[in-house]
Amino acid sequence: MSLKIFIAVILGVGTGYFFLPTEFSNNIGLIIDIGLMVLLFFVGIDIGKQKDILDKIKKLGFKVLLVPLAVIVGSVVGSMIIGLFLNMKINEAGAIGAGLGWYSLSSTILLSDGYVELSALAFLSNVFREIIALIFIPVVAKYIGKLESVSTAGATAMDTALPVISSSTDPQTSIIAFITGVICSTAVPIIVPIILKLPV
Amino acid sequence: MVTSLLKYLGILILGGIIGFKGKLSPKLEGKLNTIQTVCLLFLLFIMGITIGINDEIISNIFSIGLKAGIISVFTVGFSILFVHLVKKFIPMEEKEIES
Repeated sequence: MSLKIFIAVILGVGTGYFFLPTEFSNNIGLIIDIGLMVLLFFVGIDIGKQKDILDKIKKLGFKVLLVPLAVIVGSVVGSMIIGLFLNMKINEAGAIGAGLGWYSLSSTILLSDGYVELSALAFLSNVFREIIALIFIPVVAKYIGKLESVSTAGATAMDTALPVISSSTDPQTSIIAFITGVICSTAVPIIVPIILKLPV
Repeated sequence: MVTSLLKYLGILILGGIIGFKGKLSPKLEGKLNTIQTVCLLFLLFIMGITIGINDEIISNIFSIGLKAGIISVFTVGFSILFVHLVKKFIPMEEKEIES
C-alpha cells in the first residue's frame, strides 16, 4: 500500500510539472473536494457497518480524547524544539507544527497574517507530514503500535489517512483515528493563530 | 473551513447511517475497500499535481523542502512519542473486538 501511495504522489508531481498548465490549478480544489467526498462516503459506510464499535467507544469514554491532545501537544512541541536548531522563532516554528498536517488551512492562515515564507514552509511541511503519515502508518502500526500510527496523521486521520489507518489497524482504532482527526482539524484554526501570538 | 469540516462530517455520517442500516447490496459491500483505495490513490495523484504544477514550490523545493522535511519529521516523531506516553491510560479492548 505504501508503495502505491508513493508512486501515486510521484506520478502526480511529474504530471503536474511536465504536462499540465498552471491554469489547471484553478480546477484542482473542486476535484479534490469531489474525490474526498466520495472517499469519505465509503469510509463512512465502512465505519457504520461496525455496529458494536459505537458501544465500545462509549466505554472508552473521555480518555480517548488523550490521543488528539497528545498529538496536538507533541506536534507543537516537536516543531518548536527543531525550530530552535533551525534558528527559527519558536512561535513561528510552533505554528507550523500546529498545522497538524492540514497543509491548505495552516498555510492560508499564515499567509493571511502576512507570513509569506512561513506560509510556504507550513504548506510543504504539512504536505510532507501527510506523505510521511501515509507511507509510515502501516510501518508504525506494525512495529510501534496502532495508536501511535494514528498520531502520525494528525488532522488527516479523519479523511485521507483514514483508509490507510483502517487497513493497517482495526475498526476500533479507526474510530479513535476519526475522533482524533475531527478534534485536530477543529483545533488547527484555533491553535495556529494562538501559537503565532505567543510572546517569545 | 468550518463549512468544509461540516460537509466532510456530514457525508461521513451519511455513509455511516447507510452502512449501519445495512442497505447496501452485498456486491457493492465486497468492493468497499477497492473503491476506497482507488479514491485515495486518485487524491494523492492530484495532491502530487498541486505540488508539481506550482513552479515556485518546485524551484525552491530543495531549500524550503529540506527545512520543511526536518520539521515534519520532528512533528511526527513527537506526536508518536506523546501518544506513546498517554497510551497506557487508554483502554483498548482488542481481544473483545476481535472475538
